Amino acid sequence: MSWRIATRHVSSYRYASTVFASYNEARMTPVASHRQSVLESHVSIRPTAPPLRYVDYWATTVYAFDVHEPHDNLVVTGSSVVETAGAEVLNEDAGWELVHRPDVQDRYSELLLPTPYAPLEPALRDLAHDVGTSETPAQAVASVSAWVRSAMRYEPGTTQVSTSAVEAWRQGSGVCQDFAHLTLVLLRELGIPARYTSGYLHPRVAAAIGETVKGASHAWVEAWLGSWQPVDPTNGEPVGERHVTVARGRDYADVAPLHGLYHGGALEDLEVTVELTRVA
Amino acid sequence: MEDLFEGYTIGPWWDEMLESPSYPRKASLGLHEALRSLSAADLEERCAERDRSFRDRGITFSLSGEERPFPLDPVPRLVSADEWAVIESGVAQRVRALEMFLADVYGRGEVLKDGVVPRRLVATSRHFHRAAAGIETPNGVRIHVSGIDLVRDATGEFRVLEDNLRIPSGVSYVVENRRTMARVFPELFVSHRVRPVADYPDKLLASLKAASPRRARGEPTVVVLTPGVHNAAYFEHSFLARQMGVELVEGRDLVCRQNTLYMRTTGGEQRVDVVYRRIDDDYLDPLHFRSDSLLGSAGLLNVARAGNVTIANAVGNGVADDKLAYTYVPALIDYYLGERPILANVPTYRLEEPDQLEHVLGRIGELVLKPVDASGGYGLLIGPQASEEEIDAAAVAIRANPRSWVAQEVVQLSTVPTKVGNHLEPRHVDLRPFAINDGERVWVLPGGLTRVALPRGSLVVNSSQGGGSKDTWVLASDNPHFGGRDVDGVERTAAAALAALPPYGAGPDLGPALAANQQQQQSGPPCSAG
Repeated sequence: MSWRIATRHVSSYRYASTVFASYNEARMTPVASHRQSVLESHVSIRPTAPPLRYVDYWATTVYAFDVHEPHDNLVVTGSSVVETAGAEVLNEDAGWELVHRPDVQDRYSELLLPTPYAPLEPALRDLAHDVGTSETPAQAVASVSAWVRSAMRYEPGTTQVSTSAVEAWRQGSGVCQDFAHLTLVLLRELGIPARYTSGYLHPRVAAAIGETVKGASHAWVEAWLGSWQPVDPTNGEPVGERHVTVARGRDYADVAPLHGLYHGGALEDLEVTVELTRVA
Repeated sequence: MEDLFEGYTIGPWWDEMLESPSYPRKASLGLHEALRSLSAADLEERCAERDRSFRDRGITFSLSGEERPFPLDPVPRLVSADEWAVIESGVAQRVRALEMFLADVYGRGEVLKDGVVPRRLVATSRHFHRAAAGIETPNGVRIHVSGIDLVRDATGEFRVLEDNLRIPSGVSYVVENRRTMARVFPELFVSHRVRPVADYPDKLLASLKAASPRRARGEPTVVVLTPGVHNAAYFEHSFLARQMGVELVEGRDLVCRQNTLYMRTTGGEQRVDVVYRRIDDDYLDPLHFRSDSLLGSAGLLNVARAGNVTIANAVGNGVADDKLAYTYVPALIDYYLGERPILANVPTYRLEEPDQLEHVLGRIGELVLKPVDASGGYGLLIGPQASEEEIDAAAVAIRANPRSWVAQEVVQLSTVPTKVGNHLEPRHVDLRPFAINDGERVWVLPGGLTRVALPRGSLVVNSSQGGGSKDTWVLASDNPHFGGRDVDGVERTAAAALAALPPYGAGPDLGPALAANQQQQQSGPPCSAG
């Protein structure tokens, strides 16, 4: 079953004093794939700035822009309408011998290496092998995802944008970004190529058509099991019609919805809202 | 009169001037004779003239933070026309293959799909910049300037020691050494047909203009971007800007607006088309690289992506010139050009391959160990000169991180007679020829920086390690169809005086360091399954 979802992601930065120059990249445009068609997408910027639109190394659409008029607020809004597909079952056919084949390991080497957000950690290495020793890589992915959910308490405010998987794991709590990074550490430790995936999740299983609900930007993981298979370690539900995929990369740093620099006053307030409407 | 060559010995290496202590090589007959006619006092007088020449022009080199006169040995290094023909074609061949490799790695990745180079090599390179993927190069050139370091082995064969495809430096010393030598030994330029090096800045400017994204719309504006006066190579940056007649700018003089690059001048803002940058990738654009960098210009990479400026050399070239990538260059020449390498590599072992690692661990004392990422001779271990403790420490280091090291067979670098005290002794040298790619052809400056390892027996020639230099004389061929007949105009090189650098207007201060716009992804489980 497929859904049609309208998304609206607003990032609103308010500065303590006037900003004179600001350089930014927005990654807020859903990506087209076999399980998702993008019917409409747009990024708007206030104050207005003519963006450069490009597709980056990870196949993510980027809006790059600079703002040179003095401003106290910067508002970036990503809007889209996408058609999403229902959940797939994890591919059980792929065996360890396929995933560990030297050419596969070389092809996905950058998705097997540690990163600042998903670093090497000896304690997690042993844990990965305890949790993930399974008959098939698909079972290992399911076990790892379940283990992450059992080891971590979902608690906003306990981690920051810069928190690594290991820091979050040590304190036993975090948000979807941390759940995803911890999953990446374990899967990569098992030799399963894995990528950080960001997007949106519609919160209602039985969403009424036309009703707009508050959501949030969301993150999950895709593992290579003969093909890329998504898994959502934060809520343990299959990735399906309620998930809208925006960007993929090695970790959060590759997909940050808004990344930028500015000359001027301190950031006083950041407000991020995501609104999701099932339209069909 | 005592002969300057008294006691000159030749060991198990190639001497560039002498076949044996009493027999000069053919190309060096005249030079050898001229040197033999000089007394120690004569040579001393020439050196005094050399020092005056450098001092007058304010040419120094910064060694570990201290400014010293650039050490130029008074005895030039000769390269015959035949030898040069090999170097020239071999360097050009290498640059062509490396250009194709870079285009491939930042494009379709065929070389990786075909398994010629493992994807892991690229993925683990500190210099592979994913942010550079998809940036078009207006004339297909990424390696506008390269310095391909060569050494000459005991059989006289030139071999490549390393490729420098990012911001190779030293060419200003090639030009300045020549100017000085024209004052020190004017008579030798009359008796030798030395090919000129003074037109390097013209060739560089032409190649930078050829790389402009706006070639069709009038004369492109080129700038040289320097990290500033405290950089060890600042002399060269100002030299090149002055010689090319273009502005020398720092990051604070530039501003990116609406994906266009401008420089601030006293007459207002001026659009810039080509940036010859002498700043490392990491510092070039704080939006994409180190966000704490104040040396570059925020947004520069996206101006290039928008097709509004050319960055020379291109961002991300380092993926092709670290010491591990080096080991694949012969295979790349075969893969892209279907040719055999004209210049061979020095035999090098990749320590990530277990059998090569084991081989090397048993032979550290006979090999040279080099960190893959470093340059300038830092972190080098020369096995035959290392203590047992150093060798043991190296074994631990390479076992712990084999990706970070390569091992090379020791090459007995060739020697050239070099002034030591009041006579001449053999000292080991290398050669850095500079190549310029304008998109039509790869031009190799006939000359290059000959670096000298000054301590007796030393094989470390880097100027950052206290080495010296020699003027490199590429001789014109006697055959008019081969090489050129253009004899170096001594008057031309000696006459040009260094103009004072005009002060550059600084732009308005934009306030403190850049701050970050960012946000965390915070979603949790659905609050209600409604």
